[in-house]
Amino acid sequence: MALVELQGVSKSFRKGDETITPLDDVSLQIHAGEFVSLMGPSGTGKSTLLNLVSGIDRPDAGTITVDGTKITGLSRSRLADWRAANLGYIFQTHNLIPVLTAYENVELPTLLLKLSSSERQMRVELALEAVGLTDRADHYPRQLSGGQEQRVGIARAIVAHPKVVVADEPTGSLDSETSEQIQVLLQRLNQELNITMLMVTHDSHVAKIASRQLVLDRGKFLDSQTAIA
Amino acid sequence: MLTYVLKTLWRHHTRTLLTVTGAAVAMFVFCFVGSVQEGLQLLTTGSDADRSLIVFQENRFCPTSSRLPEDYARKIREVRGVRDVMPIQVWTNNCRASLDIVVFNGAAPKQIQATRPVTLVEGSWTAFGSRRDAAIVGRNVAQRRALNVGDQFSIGDLSVNVVGVFRSSVPSEENLIYTSLEFLQYTRGLDAAGLVTQHEVLLTDDADADLVASEIDNILRAGPVATTTRRKGAFQASTLSDLVDLIGFAHWLGYACVGLVLSLVATTTVMSVQDRIKEYAVLQTIGVRPMRAMQLVLAESTILCAVGGIAGTGIALGLLALGGFAIGAEGATIAFRPSWWLAGSGTVVSLAVGVIAGLAPAIQAATVPIVVALREA
Repeated sequence: MALVELQGVSKSFRKGDETITPLDDVSLQIHAGEFVSLMGPSGTGKSTLLNLVSGIDRPDAGTITVDGTKITGLSRSRLADWRAANLGYIFQTHNLIPVLTAYENVELPTLLLKLSSSERQMRVELALEAVGLTDRADHYPRQLSGGQEQRVGIARAIVAHPKVVVADEPTGSLDSETSEQIQVLLQRLNQELNITMLMVTHDSHVAKIASRQLVLDRGKFLDSQTAIA
Repeated sequence: MLTYVLKTLWRHHTRTLLTVTGAAVAMFVFCFVGSVQEGLQLLTTGSDADRSLIVFQENRFCPTSSRLPEDYARKIREVRGVRDVMPIQVWTNNCRASLDIVVFNGAAPKQIQATRPVTLVEGSWTAFGSRRDAAIVGRNVAQRRALNVGDQFSIGDLSVNVVGVFRSSVPSEENLIYTSLEFLQYTRGLDAAGLVTQHEVLLTDDADADLVASEIDNILRAGPVATTTRRKGAFQASTLSDLVDLIGFAHWLGYACVGLVLSLVATTTVMSVQDRIKEYAVLQTIGVRPMRAMQLVLAESTILCAVGGIAGTGIALGLLALGGFAIGAEGATIAFRPSWWLAGSGTVVSLAVGVIAGLAPAIQAATVPIVVALREA
C-alpha cells in the first residue's frame, strides 16, 4: 500500500477573468522510503501539488491520503496537528525564524509534540548532527551561510521523525557547490534514515538524485504509469 | 513558545521600547486622573462627609468672608440630633484654585484629638495642647513642604511650630494644618476674637442630617449672622464646584489615554504581524495550530501593553505616594492619593487593552491562507 496517495486531484485558481488549472485530475502514489522528484516548467503545478500533499492547501476535487489518513477531510486545526506529527517541509528560502538560534529553530516542531525535555533535546542534537551543524547550534540565522541555513531547515524538517518530507526547490537559492552538498545530504537522509521524500525542482541534474522522477506538464503527469508505480 | 514571543519583542527592541513607553505615559496620566476622581469621591462620600454638618455664613464661600460668632456652638449643641460641635477658624494662603494650597484649621486641641479621624505618626498630642503656636501637620503637607517635627513653618503672617505629623482615613484631611483656635483667632490681620469661620457639627447615629441642618439655620436666623448648614460632603462639593466640573471633564482624559494605548499597541501589532505574516505561515506549516498562532500575537500585544501599563501605573502611584499632591480652592482640598483600586484598575485596563489591541492582527495571523502568506517577500 502506498504511503502517499493522490486520487483524481484537481486544483484551479481565478486570476482576473481567467481560470488557471495547475492540476487536472492527477493521481499519484509514493511508497514508504521512496525519493520522488517532481519536475516541470514553471506554473505547471509542481508547488501546488507539494502544498496539497503537505496539507497547507486544499484540492477542489479528489482525495489525498497519507499513511491511511485522508488529509483532505481534516479541519484546519487537525491538519496542523497532522503536519506537526507527520510532515517535514523544506522551503526554497529556508524560512528560519530569525529571532531563534539554529537549535531553537530545529527544536520548534518538537515543542508541538508530547515529548519529554530529554527526548526533545536528544532529537534536536541528532538532527543537527545529521546535517553537520552541531557546532553552529547557538548561531542565529543571520550568522549562518545560505547552505548552513538550508541545513538547519532540513534538520527542522526531520526532527519530528515525520512520515513524509517535502522539499520545494531545496537548492533553488544556493550556489552550485552548496547545492551539491545539500543534494548529497538529502540523498543520505533518504537512504540512511529511510525518510520518504517528495522534492520539487526545475533542475534535471538535481532531480536525478531521486529514485523516481516525475514530470508535470499543464496539470498532468507526462507518464501517468510512472506516477502510479 | 513564550521564548519565541519574548525573543521577538527583544529583537525588535526599538519598536518594543517605543510602544512600552507610550503605554506607560498614557497609563501614568490615566492613574493621575483616576486619583483625582478618587480623591473627589472620597471627599464627598463616606461617614465623615455624610454624618457631619458644616455651618457657614449665609451667601459666603471663601473662608475669609465667613465670620460666625463662636458662641453659636452653644446654641447648636441644644439642637436635637447634635452630638458635638467644633468651632473652627480657617485660614488659607489662597482662595483660588491652587496645587499648593495651605489650609490652617484652628480648633480646640482636645476636640481635634477626640473628633477628627487623625492619628499622629510623629510628635505628641501633649505638645500640641501645651504650646499656643503648636501645629500638627497633615502627612501630605509635610511631604510637600518637607516639614518635620521641631520645624518652624511660616507663611504670610502665620508662624507655627510643628509638633506632630498626622495621617488620616480621610485623605483630604492630610492636607490640613491644625492649630489651636485661639492662635488663629488672634493672628495679625484676622481680627477674629470671638469669631470663627465655621462650626462643624457631629450628629448622633439616629439623627436626620438634613432635618438637623435646617433646624440649625432656623435657630440661628434670629442671631446676628444668618447661616447655611449643609452636610460636609455637599459643602465641600459646593465649595469646589468649579474644580468638580473640571474634574468631571478630566475623566474623559482618562478614557482618551486608554484609547491612545489601544491605538498605539494595535498599530504596532498590526504592523508587526503584516511584516511577519510569512513567519506565521511558516509556523503553521510546521504544525502550529491557527489558534496557537492567534495566541502568539495576543501574547505579544498583551505583554507590550502590560509592561508599559504596569510601569506607568507603578510610577504614577509611586509619585502620588511620595509627592503629597493636592488641589484645593477656598479652603477645601482634594488629595491625590495612591490606592489599591487604582493599582488594580491600571493593571486590568492594561491587560484588557493589550488583548483587545491584539485581536484583529491575531485573527489575521491565524486565518491568512498559508500558501498566500508563504509567497510574501
